[in-house]
Amino acid sequence: MSDFDLHLLTAGPYHEQLVAGFWLSIKLAAGTLVLAMPLALLVALLRMTPSRLLNGVGFTFVEAIRNVPLLAHILFWYFGAPELLPEGLKLWLYRGNIEVAAAVIALTLYTAAYMSEDIRSGVRSVPKEQLEAARALGFNFLTSMRLVVLPQALRITVPPLISQGLSLWKNTSMAMVVGVAEMLYQAQQVESATFRSFEAFAFATAGYLGVSLVITGIAVLYEHRVRGAAGR
Amino acid sequence: MTRRFRLLALGLLAAFAPLVHADQVADIKAKGELVCGVLGTDDPFSFVDPKSREIVGYDVDLCNAVAKKLGVKTSLKQLAVAARVPELQQGRVDILAASLTHNKEREALIDFSLSTFITGQKVMTKKTSGIQQPAQLTGQKVLTVKGSTMEQNIKKLVPGAEIISFDNSPQAFLALQQGKGVAYVNDETSLIDDFSKLGPAQKDYVILPTSISTEHLALGLKKGEAGMKTLVDGVLRDMEKSGDAEKLFMKWLGPETKMKFPARPFKFETDKIDG
Repeated sequence: MSDFDLHLLTAGPYHEQLVAGFWLSIKLAAGTLVLAMPLALLVALLRMTPSRLLNGVGFTFVEAIRNVPLLAHILFWYFGAPELLPEGLKLWLYRGNIEVAAAVIALTLYTAAYMSEDIRSGVRSVPKEQLEAARALGFNFLTSMRLVVLPQALRITVPPLISQGLSLWKNTSMAMVVGVAEMLYQAQQVESATFRSFEAFAFATAGYLGVSLVITGIAVLYEHRVRGAAGR
Repeated sequence: MTRRFRLLALGLLAAFAPLVHADQVADIKAKGELVCGVLGTDDPFSFVDPKSREIVGYDVDLCNAVAKKLGVKTSLKQLAVAARVPELQQGRVDILAASLTHNKEREALIDFSLSTFITGQKVMTKKTSGIQQPAQLTGQKVLTVKGSTMEQNIKKLVPGAEIISFDNSPQAFLALQQGKGVAYVNDETSLIDDFSKLGPAQKDYVILPTSISTEHLALGLKKGEAGMKTLVDGVLRDMEKSGDAEKLFMKWLGPETKMKFPARPFKFETDKIDG
């Protein structure tokens, strides 16, 4: 077993590559989160409206996305979907950062599908009398949701959503199959250039673990605050 | 407590102690089979024959020749490009016949047989891109395969190019066809193979004449196994002398095949590389 060359990771071009990969992973996760949460909320609402048609749309979205592996989604959005665009738009897209765009779209849809189910469970755990009372007071469906049900539901949904965030953080590594230079891709590049697989993957592991622990820490803090405030 | 600790320590020591090292040739003969690592996705070196659904090719035939000399049967194991060297190092395959380039960095990890194929790595691009020299690739997206020597070579040659690497050659080629990159870098035989698959679309593509490197492909051998190396080199030299090497080349790369090489530009004679 050869010695662990820490110097490789802390300075020099390989260090810069790995750090650049780390920041791209963070950006992918943050961007996806920002896009996925509103989408998840929308899909959850679709499934809860009185309209059968909108329910169907929400249901199809969730089932179609949840039952297909993330890898298939990423490959589809990179190799498949852009080909259907008109020529001019397609060429503009390919000249830009199609790899990151495809990965973010795939991740957003995937994460939103799971998050919408968590939000729906949260809403279902709020007694239905709340919605009925709000409707009885004269609010329409959307307003009752916004003012009465969702504030209660989201407080319950935060722990599952944080764990979805954790999954999302790890799922960003899947983007490397379409050439996105995120942390795991860079670790592979460093490994194939230097043959020091242990050091390269140690860096990637530390990166993923570090941020995962931060996310878990946020979850624990939230639990304490909620528990403490509600006195439960 | 101390007794259990001692047993545990002994167990761990035994697990990590260097294994008693018998000669690999004897091991393979005892096993009765030679496990060959192949790619299975690189026409004509190792690929799946559409009719027989078996992996065949130039590398596979070389592997069979070595197995015949050892008197054992061949067992093919399909590997990803990036997994070739690690699998050989860990002993999960006995020999690599997987379009493996012989270079200085890899020499530190594994041994190589005599060079079995000498070619270059080239660039394929669409004619509409207007690229005629690799140097024009600065600032452009270049598509290639992860964990390969062309990834390293194109990075060295054109540092300003944006390299997008895929898990295998077919994906990188598809990305070129879709226009997701302006150039596709691979070794000459893979490019000729992909080019021939284009059919009528061939008129839109061109393989640039400038090579970005010369590649010696060779069989990969476990480091330090002198007996195995002597045996494999002996098999290759015999093939060269008997004319089997020439026949093998013509079978997979000659004028009758889609590769259409008119003549064999090398011989099985050296395992030295320069640079």
